[in-house]
Amino acid sequence: MSSNAQASTSPVAEVPLSRRFGLIWWIALGASGALVLLLGYTLISVTIMGVGIWGVNIPFVWGFDLINYAWWIGIANGASLFAAILVLRRHDLRTAVNRFAEGVAFFAVICAGIFPIFHLGRPWLFYWTFPYPATFEVWPQFRSTLTWDFWAISTHVIVTSLLWYVGLIPDLATLRDRARRKTVQRIYGIFAIGWRGSVRHWAYHQRAYRLVAILVLPLILIMQSTVAFEFGVTLVPDWHETRQPLHFVATGLAQGLSIVLLVAVLLRWGLRLGRYIDEEDIDLLGKLVLASALVSGYLYLDEFVSAVLADRMTQEATFDRMIGDEAGLYWTAIVYSILIPQLFWFKAARQSTIAAVFVGFSIGVGIWFDRFSIIVGGLQTDYLPSVGRTYSPTLPETGLFLGTVGLFAAFLLLFARFLPVVSMFETRHDEHEEETS
Amino acid sequence: MTQRLHGIMAEFKTPEALMEAVKAAKRSGFTKLDAFSPFPLADLAKELGVRTTVIPWIALVAALIGAGLQYGAQYWMNVVDYPLNVGGRPLDSWPAFIPATLIVAILWAGAATLLGLLLILRLPRLHHPVFAVPGFERASEDRFYLCILSVDPLFEAEAARSFLEALTPQAVREVPACD
Repeated sequence: MSSNAQASTSPVAEVPLSRRFGLIWWIALGASGALVLLLGYTLISVTIMGVGIWGVNIPFVWGFDLINYAWWIGIANGASLFAAILVLRRHDLRTAVNRFAEGVAFFAVICAGIFPIFHLGRPWLFYWTFPYPATFEVWPQFRSTLTWDFWAISTHVIVTSLLWYVGLIPDLATLRDRARRKTVQRIYGIFAIGWRGSVRHWAYHQRAYRLVAILVLPLILIMQSTVAFEFGVTLVPDWHETRQPLHFVATGLAQGLSIVLLVAVLLRWGLRLGRYIDEEDIDLLGKLVLASALVSGYLYLDEFVSAVLADRMTQEATFDRMIGDEAGLYWTAIVYSILIPQLFWFKAARQSTIAAVFVGFSIGVGIWFDRFSIIVGGLQTDYLPSVGRTYSPTLPETGLFLGTVGLFAAFLLLFARFLPVVSMFETRHDEHEEETS
Repeated sequence: MTQRLHGIMAEFKTPEALMEAVKAAKRSGFTKLDAFSPFPLADLAKELGVRTTVIPWIALVAALIGAGLQYGAQYWMNVVDYPLNVGGRPLDSWPAFIPATLIVAILWAGAATLLGLLLILRLPRLHHPVFAVPGFERASEDRFYLCILSVDPLFEAEAARSFLEALTPQAVREVPACD
């Protein structure tokens, strides 16, 4: 039996259940699938031949691997943080945005996790960071930020995926009940684990979901700070700064918000969900993106002021990043992540799909250059008189990065195809509350 | 011989009608009730006497266990079992043990709460008697159901049916027991 109810949220459920999905989706999936193959190729080649095929070498031991890791983790944390704040505030925007914001966070953290593992050089031994009773009786060194990172990434993956799935269960039940074909019904039925909408179940479900969503908040702040501490605890003059965690948290939030905005306008346009992700939602997201870009701008200013007040060595190192050989990276970051988002002062820009895609992309690009500038530009001036060489990515590294972009896009496309992209039960709940009030 | 019943179920169009029905059923002395809805109804849950205070307790206890284990493991491994002097830093560098301790506390709390939730709800399960009721698939979209369970001490199929019919629902149906 399948339901033919014409409820307010039925159009959302019809998207995953439709038989055909259009040529554009197939082309996009094909393109991202090709990039996933490239990812597989670059990962296999680095496993067989070692990290020598990358451009990294002393003192630039961190290249694309850490740049892209820090970039992806910023997206993951920014999107998670945003989703957690919406739940905490019980904000109306959460019905429209939370489902895919959590999805974006989950996909981004998977992409992020690939880099540190392969950066180890012997990725098959990555489990050495986990304290297990090894025969050689050596334990991990817990005073190192890298072990904190291990816990942070694995916790983020486990908690966000569980939270995302538990939030999906009632909507999967709707899909099960609306499915017209037996096989489809069985598949959604298995994942809906027998959800029957009992009021008692709802009460527990909501309590647990809200509680864990709030727990994500401190997790994200600690995790993003951990990424920053990886730089902060070194003795490199430009990195050894207590302001690093703040810089990473704030720019990460800007990045997460901009990707959430980007995905929001694309889903709205691609799946015709204007009613569920309405103009007000997009407008509010645009304002938040603008505000977060202003906060990033403030932190760049803070970086400059603290460099002016710092000791000579730090001063030289920071200014070298701004006007030295790698200054292009720094200024590109400023233009893309601070100046271009200023477009959003205009309402017309916030309402326009093209402008939203443009600004969303540009913040993503800008923060990527910021990470590049910190990791490569930050090492240009050290206590040694001469660094001697610089870093530039090799083809296998570029391929690896493009591959993770493809993986992320493929996850998003499959998500949009097979799952309800906005929370249907939250939408019903909100509409009911609006009717009664 | 009549079929054994799980209960008698009435279908309503609005949550308000369901709320009225639950109140009426409670007034008539029924105690074993279950209600179904396509979205959370906090007031109705309160009316049915659902208390969810166990959830934060699960989170708190799990967080404390996780934090204790993580801090203890770090201390024991880096201070007691394998003391390694790195640049003269203290072995028990507690500030360095804090980030992982907090993170693992959140891991335990999050995982225990969500897995504990499934345990409390007795999910996953493959089947439930209510799924056999014709039209029940609309419980996940736009219909609201009240079920008087056969385990209720006052339960009597005919009486329960006529009681529910008096509430002017969309339909009243029997829910056959599974086994």
